[in-house]
Amino acid sequence: MLLSRNIKEKLIENFFLVIAASSIFIILFIFYFLFQGALPAFQNLGVDLFGTEWSVSQGKFGLTAAIFGTLIVTAGAMLIAIPLGILGAIFLAELAPHKLRVILKPIIELLAGIPSIVYGFIGAVLLVPFLQPSFDMLSGYSFLAGSMILGIMALPIIISMSDEAIKAVPRNYKEASLAVGATKWQTIKKITIPSAISGISAAVVMGMGRAIGETMAVSLVLGNIMKIPAPPFDIFETTGTTLTALIVHDMGEATGIQVNALFVAAVILFIIVAILSISSNILRERIERKFKGA
Amino acid sequence: MEFKKIINIFTNIFKKPFDKDNFDIKNILCTLSIVFSSVIAIIGFASTTTGFYVGDSFVRVSLIVLALLFSALIYLSYIRINKKRKILALIIFVIFVFLLAYYLPLFPPQYELRQFDVDASILKFMITSIVLIIVGVTGASLSMKPLYNFTSKSSQMSAYYILVVSILLIIYPLMLLVGNIIANGIGGISWEFLTQDIMKLGTEGGIFPALIGTLLIMIGTALVALPLGIGCAIYLQEYAKKGLITRVISICVDILQGTPSIVHGLFGLALFVPIFGISLLSGVLIMGFLTLPIIIRASEEALRSVPQNIREGAYAVGATKWQTIKTVVLPPALPGIITGSVLGVGRAAGETAPIMFTAVYFFGAGIPQSPFDAIHALPYHLLELTKLIGYKPVEQNAWATALLLLSIVLGMNAIAIIVREKFRVEF
Repeated sequence: MLLSRNIKEKLIENFFLVIAASSIFIILFIFYFLFQGALPAFQNLGVDLFGTEWSVSQGKFGLTAAIFGTLIVTAGAMLIAIPLGILGAIFLAELAPHKLRVILKPIIELLAGIPSIVYGFIGAVLLVPFLQPSFDMLSGYSFLAGSMILGIMALPIIISMSDEAIKAVPRNYKEASLAVGATKWQTIKKITIPSAISGISAAVVMGMGRAIGETMAVSLVLGNIMKIPAPPFDIFETTGTTLTALIVHDMGEATGIQVNALFVAAVILFIIVAILSISSNILRERIERKFKGA
Repeated sequence: MEFKKIINIFTNIFKKPFDKDNFDIKNILCTLSIVFSSVIAIIGFASTTTGFYVGDSFVRVSLIVLALLFSALIYLSYIRINKKRKILALIIFVIFVFLLAYYLPLFPPQYELRQFDVDASILKFMITSIVLIIVGVTGASLSMKPLYNFTSKSSQMSAYYILVVSILLIIYPLMLLVGNIIANGIGGISWEFLTQDIMKLGTEGGIFPALIGTLLIMIGTALVALPLGIGCAIYLQEYAKKGLITRVISICVDILQGTPSIVHGLFGLALFVPIFGISLLSGVLIMGFLTLPIIIRASEEALRSVPQNIREGAYAVGATKWQTIKTVVLPPALPGIITGSVLGVGRAAGETAPIMFTAVYFFGAGIPQSPFDAIHALPYHLLELTKLIGYKPVEQNAWATALLLLSIVLGMNAIAIIVREKFRVEF
């Protein structure tokens, strides 16, 4: 009786272990199938994959323009999202009265859930027609529009994660500072923010990951022309695309080696974002360990 | 902080000048300059969004008035405080505002950047309104300093002002988005719209197949992701000892959570489409993988919040581990698990990229007869309509589709938040 009970327990435990291991298998599968899709491109094109020229008719598939586009759009988005996000989180965590906080916090969480296609739609029907005359641009579809949409999309995640990080700073840190006569703002500036800095960086890295991987919204407001704009910092030009937008835009009609080149783009994305998620979690764990004793 | 306290902070700005006991002309000027700067910033903001130029004389007069107000403040502060150095920021600001008052209206109506190969030009209304916003916010924030006599409290007030401005800047675009979708979409929602077939590329008819497709995706995702996700969370939280395998699983969940949706889409294209074709089944499997980490993390959190002594109580009366989990740990963790699951399914309803190469066809995909049929889905429908805008009269239907999609996704999120708040079990 006791023995069979033990066997049953062992079986159940192993059953759950197998389920839990499924996430490992999924990651391995993603890795394997992406690489399998990308391999012919590596074999046939080699270093040309990182050239600057992308021409389907000539069989040239250099991804540099899309990588550059991803970098510049993400940088622009972060320029908007980091200062606003951190200030918003400070307001939410330290300044907002409880009644306002219980309203604002769920609203910001809700906004994080808005589908990216909705952001893209709004970007295409409201933002692009607004930007075009405001900066006298050729079409309005540009890196600028992409950065703005991505910045707004990354805001909720940066705010809610930074807010949690600031809230996690132990009370006695702040009380010690207030007790020696510092004002609330001095405490925030000198004690709270420096203590929460790794949590806030985790939030920023997470927001960056989201911005890099974002697809639908950005593809609808970019010019989707696979070229580096000239001069490269010209964020108003219709030229330019990102890795994600390139995949969405070209996959439908792609054939042959072009499909494999697009898989290379996906591999690059996957690796960048995986590194970002891991570093974000290392940062978050560090802050948890730091405050454990306090 | 108390609600009253924060209200007090800001009403103090208006109360201070009327304090009879220590009346001071400086306080009146400070309050005036805070209000005036804020108004300038608001006008600047309105001008950016509407594209309306406020006029040369308005810019010149308002900036000069602001600069004069500040000059008076500087003089009044200078004769009172000891540390004259603290006024420096104000002096620089005044010089700056005077210069702007002179030079800003001289800016040409359109400054071509095309001579530098940049495809844009700086328009006068844009540069003016941006400068007005910056000057207004800085001015209001700086006027807090003389109001609180350059003490440490004054820099606190300056910072608070900036914080309030930034939260307004955050809320504004997000409200604009939701407000526009509701206002423009509500007219297009009708019983016919919900129940009719898509006709003529979405210019006419309804969205019935897309609605059904999205509901099927949601149900299917739940079927795939819930058993896996909750099982994984139970293992990680209840069985696993800290060690290599848990660490690896945890890292994999993190990577999975960050994986861009388009990468999931290509993965599905490479793995499932060759086996199941472009079908509901392929889409549902991909969506299941996509939502898995959300469900795992939420369930883990819920299980973690069940205190250890409850488990020990169950062990003490002879329950096995599984009996303990089943009867003692899971029930109080259920609201948290449901919250995570609803969030995950809501996310699946809104995703486009993972299904666009694996499950949907725009043309011809009706109501699927089996899991191996292609489907149609709301987010994909919205994508196609967005691309058609400008070529075909689809705008009304696009707004209505956006509203429907937004209500489904935000509705799921709202349910999740309500479940979490209402059924939270306190220990």
